[in-house]
Formats: sequence, structure tokens, C-alpha cells
Amino acid sequence: MLNVETPLFSTSPKGVIMGGYTNRILEVDLSTNELSITDLPDSDKKRFIGGSGVAAKIFLDRFNIQADPLSPDNPLIIMNGPLTGTTLPGTSRFAACGRSPLTGIWGESACGGNFGAELKMAGWDGMILKGASEKPLYLLIEDSSGQLLDASDLWGKDIYQVTDLLKARHKESKQAKVFAIGKAGENLVKFAGIGNDKGHFSGRTGMGALMGSKKLKAIVVRGSRDCKPALVDEYQKLRIRLIQKVKEAVPGQALRQMGTDVGMDLGMMTHDVPVKNWTSPQDFDLSANLGGPALTERYLTKNHACYSCPIACKRIVKVAGGPYETEEGPGPEYETCCAFGTMILNKDLAAVIKANELCNKAGIDTVSAGSAIAFAYECYEKGIITRRDTDGLELLWGSIDPALKLIEMICERRGIGALLAEGTREAAKKIGSGAEEFVVDVKGLDAPMHDPRGWHGMGLGYAVSTRGACHLQHMTFYVEQGMSAYPETGLKVSYQGPRSEGKAEMYLLSENLGVPCNSACLCLFVLGCISASDFAEMLRVTTGYEGFDVEELLKSGQRINLLKRTINSLLGMKKEDDRLPKRMLTPLSPKGNVPEIDMMVEEYYALRGLDETGRPKRETLERAGLEDLISKLY
Amino acid sequence: MAYRFPSEEWIHEYQKAINASEDYKKSGATWTAGAVCLVVLANPSIDMEKEIGIWLGLNKGVCEEIRLVTVEEAQKAPFVITGDYSRWKQVVLGELEPIQGMMQGKLKLKGDLPTIVRYVKASQDLVECASKVDTRFADESI
Repeated sequence: MLNVETPLFSTSPKGVIMGGYTNRILEVDLSTNELSITDLPDSDKKRFIGGSGVAAKIFLDRFNIQADPLSPDNPLIIMNGPLTGTTLPGTSRFAACGRSPLTGIWGESACGGNFGAELKMAGWDGMILKGASEKPLYLLIEDSSGQLLDASDLWGKDIYQVTDLLKARHKESKQAKVFAIGKAGENLVKFAGIGNDKGHFSGRTGMGALMGSKKLKAIVVRGSRDCKPALVDEYQKLRIRLIQKVKEAVPGQALRQMGTDVGMDLGMMTHDVPVKNWTSPQDFDLSANLGGPALTERYLTKNHACYSCPIACKRIVKVAGGPYETEEGPGPEYETCCAFGTMILNKDLAAVIKANELCNKAGIDTVSAGSAIAFAYECYEKGIITRRDTDGLELLWGSIDPALKLIEMICERRGIGALLAEGTREAAKKIGSGAEEFVVDVKGLDAPMHDPRGWHGMGLGYAVSTRGACHLQHMTFYVEQGMSAYPETGLKVSYQGPRSEGKAEMYLLSENLGVPCNSACLCLFVLGCISASDFAEMLRVTTGYEGFDVEELLKSGQRINLLKRTINSLLGMKKEDDRLPKRMLTPLSPKGNVPEIDMMVEEYYALRGLDETGRPKRETLERAGLEDLISKLY
Repeated sequence: MAYRFPSEEWIHEYQKAINASEDYKKSGATWTAGAVCLVVLANPSIDMEKEIGIWLGLNKGVCEEIRLVTVEEAQKAPFVITGDYSRWKQVVLGELEPIQGMMQGKLKLKGDLPTIVRYVKASQDLVECASKVDTRFADESI
């Protein structure tokens, strides 16, 4: 057993965390089993806020970013933001970051639940996990104490099992929170995720594989400190006002009543939902069977909320009996209902819940898993792969049972599962024979379940986002669909409709808002219910940053985006990587239209201050106060 | 002939359009949740001194009843959707889908949101029916 004892924090003499930060990061070397403390520099806090922003700064400053993603030299950086663990609404979030095993570029994946808040209450802004162990370990953090413990008996267990076992083992820490990998992470499936208490995931970009490569099975954390804001009176008033505002907002109400899967019903109406691996138009029969009202009516046992969230969008569900029987547990999100529903023309919601349970337990991203499986179905339909390649499985549209088998095969890297476990893009390269045409990704990250042929700004977001096809680095979904306006940011009134004109400006502003949202670790669903000014106020009253306002917020968005783009440029990303897949540029019907992606990318480059190769220009970096990046890039 | 929105003549044309729609007959076939009342807020600039409710007695894909009601009576419907004249004009023109309008805060719903969301296709079909009525808008005739 290894121990590290840290002193109480100088900024919190009574064990109270002030101003949003603990100013300490736990550093764990899995190669040497050494634990140490790193200070969080003041300059980095205000400039990069926290979360994936600060993680990117640490990654670029301290590590060999060219290191193979699954080598000991690639760190897994888990970071809170200043809002994490406060009692403001939507402040459960934290981020897992590093070079992505799936894409090879900057990878980050935010997660809700309770782990981040508990980590903050234990006194840590985050942790840097570096090196790799030879034998399985888990990390136990109890306030300022950290221990690396043997996890040989946990290796091979699924996320639900390991969560229950560790909570029982450390039951003296009654509120212990667990962040763990399953078989997929152990087997280095490139899109493996990390699960917090069974139902909350850092799903995207393969951070579970990165954790698995370090032989770190889980992190258990228990904290007992209080988080206090810098400006107590203003904070309390703001908190009361914002909770009320979130509760009254219609998007918040819809999420509370129907979960994120309300997006299925509404999205089918607005041509947002991908059908049959992005090849078919809207199908209301599918959404009626797979949507939020159906999920709530047939399978919901109770709502569940992340830490400090008045929305409570999470679904606890149970399929009682039948071929797809499940235990009572976390239900599928909208993306999962598409991935294992509309994408393969399956309309059996019970089967989707089963697929979700399998993915949760094994710890894989349901978006990439469902995309890889839909890709395989299309290869099968076109005769590019046959039953001989699939161990006898007939991958027929509308049939869910082969998909359930494929989930297991991917997580265990068996048969064709081993190929798909490398990610859809790599699988297509190996399969050949035109299979690349069926891949719907950007930079190797499978597209989330929002069709940019209905919403061109979303298409630009997929093309230029710093982690590949992503709908969560920006507020485009809310802005383009007219649910939020954020006029304080310079956004104009209406950007609705499938058109590309003006969308680059809309995207830039909504990205400058969404990026700090992720870095502050605020839930995007909550930001969708409040204003940009409210968000800036949340940061100001929590941190005490004098005069912090929307302008500062947007500047930080620009700065953090440029930092991540610099990392990607150093990792070889060029303008040709800022593109959309052919399928998204193919109309679904003779009347359909597609994003004018070249035009939007050109406009975006000009607005963001990028050169013709996609690199941030020198003067852009200077203006953003990022002079230190110039020598790295030029 | 163009019918003024909202008016007795317009709503009866609307009822005819609904009941002639094969699409709505199918998409609304399982609707048994009761009446939906559309409330148009007062707008003195176009001589609408009071709110006007359009009571739609919808049942199993059929519009059994349609009538103009007061705002007080409108509140008796299980579903009340309220918006100003310009918003309803957008709806009638097919420029604003009502459920999307609710999510955007342009229209207000009193009633069970999940029930309404379950019928997004029926909602679209009702809008399609409205767009088929030859409509004259009060703000355009002034």
C-alpha cells in the first residue's frame, strides 16, 4: 500500500474550499507508484478557467504530446472546473482528457454525476495520471490522503460490479464515488469510456482505453470539505434566481419530464435524427416507439439528477421480463436510442435499453459503438462483409439481436469485434472495397446523432471542432434551433433553417460560449436555460474575478479553442481534416439540401484568425495572450 | 375566397381541411387526450380588443367540433396553447411548427408536455391543414 499525505490547504485553513479552486492537483505516476502534489498556477486558472481548458495547457506544457496515445507517456488528465461542486445549478461536470486513442488528436470527454464534486470536496482540482502500472491498481482518495491499491481481483469485472464492490469495500466512506473502466477499457477498445457510479460517462474519444493502458481500474474518492464562493451574498441571490429560471425554462421542463430522449420526437420533426446509418429520411414510426414519452411511459421507474441539478434529466429504467430483461438501472440517452434504434431501424425500445446496459457495464461509448455497428450492417447489406466475417451473424436492418452480440464481441475484441474495436474509420480502411463511404465521422470521431443536413451550423461544428465531430463544444444546437438566443454575445435573432449563410459567425460565437462552459464545468443543458450573462455571473461570484463578464467569457473561449487547435496542428491536423464526410454532403431527397461546408470553413477560418492550413496565425495568438504558443507552432 | 384569421368562417374552413386530411386521420388516430385550445392574444392594432380562443375538439384523428371561445372558456381545455397574433400567423403560414414554437418559448403550453410531444407528426399535419385554408390576415388588410 502506498500513501501520500498532503497538508491542509493554505487557502482553506478550516478545510473550506474558497473561490472555486483548491489550487492543488494530485499527480500519480503509475509506473513508479508515486503520488505528489502539483500547484494549479493562478495565471492558468483565469486564462483557461479549468476542466479541459486547464488540462490542455498542462498537456502541452508538460508532456510529449506526440507520444502514442496508449503509451505510458500519454497522460490521462482529469480536471474539475471552478463551478464543479458548488451549489449553483448544473455544476456536476468534470473532464477526462489526453491524446485520444481513437482519433490521435486532442481528446476530451466531460462527465456528469457526482465524482467531480466529490473530488473537489476532497480538496483537488483534478489529477494527472501518468506512466503505466504492470499490474491492475485502483486509486483511493479520501480527502488529502491518496493510496494506490491492488485491483487484481477487480480486473475483468464490469463497471456495475466494480462500482458496487468498491463502495462496499470502502463503506466507511459512505458517500464514496467511483470512476471506473469495464472490459472495453481493459481491452483497449479505442472508444472505451469511463463510468461514474454506473450511469454517467466520459464516453467520447476513448479515455477509457487510455485509463486501461495504465492498468488503472478505478478511482474512488471521498471528500468532506465544503465549497464556498468568493462572493457569498451575491452567490446566494444568483443561485435562487437561476434555479427558478432553469425550472421554468421549457427545454428544462422537457428534459425533466422526458429525459434527453425527448430529442428523438422533436428531432424527427426537424430532420435532426439520423436514420439507417444516415441514409434515410425522417420516420415517425421509429420516433413514436423510441422517443422520450415512450421511454418514460413504459420503462421509467424514477428520475435521477446529477449533483446540484434542478433538471434531473437522467432516467432510471427497468425492462421487466422478456428477451431484453434488464436490472433497474440507468436508462439510455437520446444518442443511444438513435445509435441502437434509428441507425439500424430497430424500433424495440426494450432492446435499446438492453444495449445501453451492455455498453454501460462494459464501458463503451454508445455513439461510437452504435455507429460502428450500423457501419457493419451497411457493409453486410452491400455484400462487402458476409456471414463468414461475422461469425454467422446476419446483420439485417431492423434486427437488434446481432447488434447485442456485436457489443460483446467489440468489448472482448472477438472476431469482427476486434476490427470494429479499432474505430469505424480504421475498420473501414482494413475492410476496403468502398467501405469508407459508409463511415460518418470527422477526424476519426463518429458523428453524434444530429444531422447537419437539417442544421448547417451543426455541420460546421462537426468539421472544425477540436475533438472531431462534436455537438458539445458549442451552443449551436440551442441557438440554431431557436431555443436560446444569447444576444449579449453578439448573436443575432434567428439562425434557423437549413442554410449556410451567416452560420460561421453564429458558430464562432456559440463556440466561444460553449468552450468556457465546458472548461468551467457547467452542464450545457443548464446553459441552454439561462443567459450568457448569467453564466458569466456564476463564474464571477464563485471565483471573485473582478469585472468578469460576457466579454471575458468569450475571450476565454477564443483562447482555449486556439490552445486546443495548436495542439492539433502540432499533431498534424490540416485544413483538409476540417471537413464533413461524404454522406453528410449527400441530400436525403431531391428537395433536400446540404451544408455549404467549404464556404463556412473559409468564413470560420477568417473569423477565428487561422491561416490557410488551419493553424492559428501568429497575430491571432498574440492578440489572445498566447505568445508562448508561437514558438511551439512556428 | 380568402377567410379572415381568426373568424367563424376561417375556423370552419380549417375544420373541413382537418377532416379531409388523410395524413391527420392517421397521425391523430390514437389521440383521445381531449380538446386543444389555441389562444390568440389581444392585439388592438388590428382591432382584436380581446383574446380569442379556437377550440379544437380533436378525437381519434377527427376534428369533431370547432368554435371560437373566450379566454376563460379556453382554460377549460386540457391543452391550451397561447401566443400573440404574429406567432399564430407564422403557424398558419407553415413557418412555425407549434411544438417547436413551445420549445423556443414563442408559444406557451398549459397541459401535459409529454402528451403533446408524442404527437409531433399530428401537430405537423394540423399545421399543414391550416396552411391549406385560403387566409387573409388582419394585419395585412389594414
